[in-house]
Amino acid sequence: MTGAEFSGVDIDLLADYIGGALEGTPDESAVATLIAEDPAWREAFETLGGQISSVRAELGRLEAEPMPADVAARLDGLFSAPPLTLVKGDPGAPTATSTVSGRRRKWVTPIAIAAGFIAFVGFGVDYLSGRTASQTDTASTAADGSAESAISMAGETILVTGTDYTRATLAITPAQPLAAAPSSGDTSAFGESDAHRQDRATAQEPALVRLSARAALEECFRMIERDNAGGVISVQTVDYARFEGAPALIVRFSANNGAWAWAVGPGCGTPMSGADAIDKVPVR
Amino acid sequence: MTSGDATSSDADLLRAHVDGDRDAFGELVRRHRDRLWAVALRTIGDREEAADAVQDALLSAHRNAARFRGDSAVTTWLHRIVVNACLDRIRRRQAHPTVPLPDGSRSDDRPSGVEPAAPVTDHETALLVRQALADLPADQRAAIVLVDVQGYPVAEAAEILEVAVGTIKSRCARGRARMALALGELRGRDTGHPPAGNQDAAETVPSGPGAAQPRTGGHDGRDQR
Repeated sequence: MTGAEFSGVDIDLLADYIGGALEGTPDESAVATLIAEDPAWREAFETLGGQISSVRAELGRLEAEPMPADVAARLDGLFSAPPLTLVKGDPGAPTATSTVSGRRRKWVTPIAIAAGFIAFVGFGVDYLSGRTASQTDTASTAADGSAESAISMAGETILVTGTDYTRATLAITPAQPLAAAPSSGDTSAFGESDAHRQDRATAQEPALVRLSARAALEECFRMIERDNAGGVISVQTVDYARFEGAPALIVRFSANNGAWAWAVGPGCGTPMSGADAIDKVPVR
Repeated sequence: MTSGDATSSDADLLRAHVDGDRDAFGELVRRHRDRLWAVALRTIGDREEAADAVQDALLSAHRNAARFRGDSAVTTWLHRIVVNACLDRIRRRQAHPTVPLPDGSRSDDRPSGVEPAAPVTDHETALLVRQALADLPADQRAAIVLVDVQGYPVAEAAEILEVAVGTIKSRCARGRARMALALGELRGRDTGHPPAGNQDAAETVPSGPGAAQPRTGGHDGRDQR
């Protein structure tokens, strides 16, 4: 059967009538009149009415399929995972073997990002200002096997002000340093007290938990660098905060196109969200 | 209240998340993920796309939870974000068509048909229904998925899709009619019997822009906000 057998009948209008979409409109009585007086409309009404009922019943019988386990696990990892610790040897820290298997290729996890970051460090690409070749070598060695080692290479200051920024205040430098990274050449991991403070950072803004992982942060920087299109960026501060009420990472950096403050969302660094930029202002 | 408290309402959990409870949003997701998944899968029709859409949507909800004003139920809000993420993906697919796979399974708008097979019982019917559903325009498909497949009341579907109740009724009605005609066609093809009717005539049902003019005056497709 095709719609052609209802020649002269407006199938959509008839469907609207059957589905109750014309109730209370002038069209309702007009269609009722057509059905009463026009044999083609009457036949179409009788035939289509029954078929539509069958379609509804068949749609209702479609099997419900629960979310696949791999997808559910991914969401658990995104929204319920404990903050990635920065302390060496933490038994709760996820490992590549426990998290990578079974993941779909398009899903980028903090661990996958960590792996990418380690590889990225290995190639000697440098996001941070003032890095020398020898320091990169040291960092590459430190990154062997542990993402937390990479954290010590960062030159930016990590802040957890919890400030609710607006466009007007975005460019104002905050004053609460949480954990300034070790000076260049120091490849030791964060001390325990620093890790605790990092935990507080994610406790304050749970939406930003993914970005508490160094590798995810670096991926975020990479997306910002790409979107900024001003060459290599040198990040000065990262603030786990809010922007106009929503959890946001405030990244202050300089590049060839000047100094900037960007507010980025929790999706920063993910393939789908890119930099997830919410707002950006130049810093003068 | 803690996020582990099963008696916590969705609104409680969302509030707890905004207030800094790191487990609250995860609990909210666990509560509703199967239904969100079902809507996404049926709307977009492809497992990978559905998974990505759900992830994008939930990341967005996670980030913007503080902006939730409580005008609707939390689940309605979550569904809205998921459906919009699916429709965005469908629109992107239409704007940037992919090269068809060798089996021609991917079209611009239609799901790629990689859903798992239904149980053996009613297998053929389920496949045909899925195919007919997949062939619908995205807005009709989304409405039908919510109302006829997932069983949401029309009013809630209207809230989720942010359109008028009449629009949902119309989209569902027209979509069902299209499906009815398409199923007749598909069954006729499968059984080797030519479908009834005038074979020289167009096989598609007029719908939406460019559809045949109604015989009554003033009909505007009933698509209204």
